[in-house]
Amino acid sequence: MKKLFSLIIALMAAPAALIAQDFSEGSKAKSWNLYAEVPARFEAKVVDILCELSGNCPDNCGDGSRQLGLVRTADNVLVYPNKNSQSGFQGASTDLLPHCQTTIEVDGMILDDPDLGARNIYLLQLIKPAGSDEWIKANTWSKRWAERHPEAKGKGPWFRRDPRVKAEIEREGYFGLGLEQDEAIKDIVFE
Amino acid sequence: MKSIFLSAFAICSTLAAPAFAAEGERISVKGEIIDTWCYFSGVMGGPDAVIGTAHHTCALWCSAGGIPVGLLAEDGTVYMVMKIEDSSDSAGGDTQLRLASHTIEADGMLYKRDGLNYLVVEEVVSDLDIQLQNHEDLGTVPPFAVPKADR
Repeated sequence: MKKLFSLIIALMAAPAALIAQDFSEGSKAKSWNLYAEVPARFEAKVVDILCELSGNCPDNCGDGSRQLGLVRTADNVLVYPNKNSQSGFQGASTDLLPHCQTTIEVDGMILDDPDLGARNIYLLQLIKPAGSDEWIKANTWSKRWAERHPEAKGKGPWFRRDPRVKAEIEREGYFGLGLEQDEAIKDIVFE
Repeated sequence: MKSIFLSAFAICSTLAAPAFAAEGERISVKGEIIDTWCYFSGVMGGPDAVIGTAHHTCALWCSAGGIPVGLLAEDGTVYMVMKIEDSSDSAGGDTQLRLASHTIEADGMLYKRDGLNYLVVEEVVSDLDIQLQNHEDLGTVPPFAVPKADR
């Protein structure tokens, strides 16, 4: 009977132990000096998050239109990659799309900041595809953007040249309140 | 003995459930459409600096760049937005770009999994445009949001 109770206690403790698991071993992720960052290298399946949650599942994880997640092999936790390894303002789904529904290894920084509600948020830096021994950088977004927007070719960062961003700013201004207010705000902010 | 095993199984199943399943719950929520990376990472400063008019241009950049958008509710809860009405283009879609920094009232389905709140917006009940005007206190976040030639 004593052994049985020990087994029950062990089984009950198992999920908590998995939640607290440390994934930093072997990580080569670079620090971004973020408040809550912790290196995390792990194996995971690439999933379409909306499909995973609600059963709404188009082909090929939405073909690049949807946010993709990582279901970690060790504990089945859904990790949400918010950012790829490029400096700037690029997400991670473009880098993960070629690996839709496959199990890969990833390296990066995980963010857990309970004060802000951040749990299992991921800065994706490196990917080791299924069946490969080589790590590749998660930095393909800007290249794909340039392929989609040959008309926006030019100097400066992509976000200054992006046609949709430019259209929004031309319509509503940099502060989003309309062009007339934008000019007045700029007079105050940049006086 | 059988009942002990059944109890143990039930306890373990309950504890493990959040990691293996997501069950939807219908909710109505009001809040600002934010870019979650700037909010969660602190890369541009504290949470008050990455919302509202001061951060609007950056919110556009992040949304267009495929960074996940969220809905920051009035109580501080962040909902990761997976779909807005007919648009499931959560990675850089037009609808979420148009709503950047706007406060909206939304009806939809909430899914909770592994510590995050995921929201499927079935209806934007009202789009209240940008409500938080914090540019007088903060200027622009980041400071280079408005190019010098346009100042």
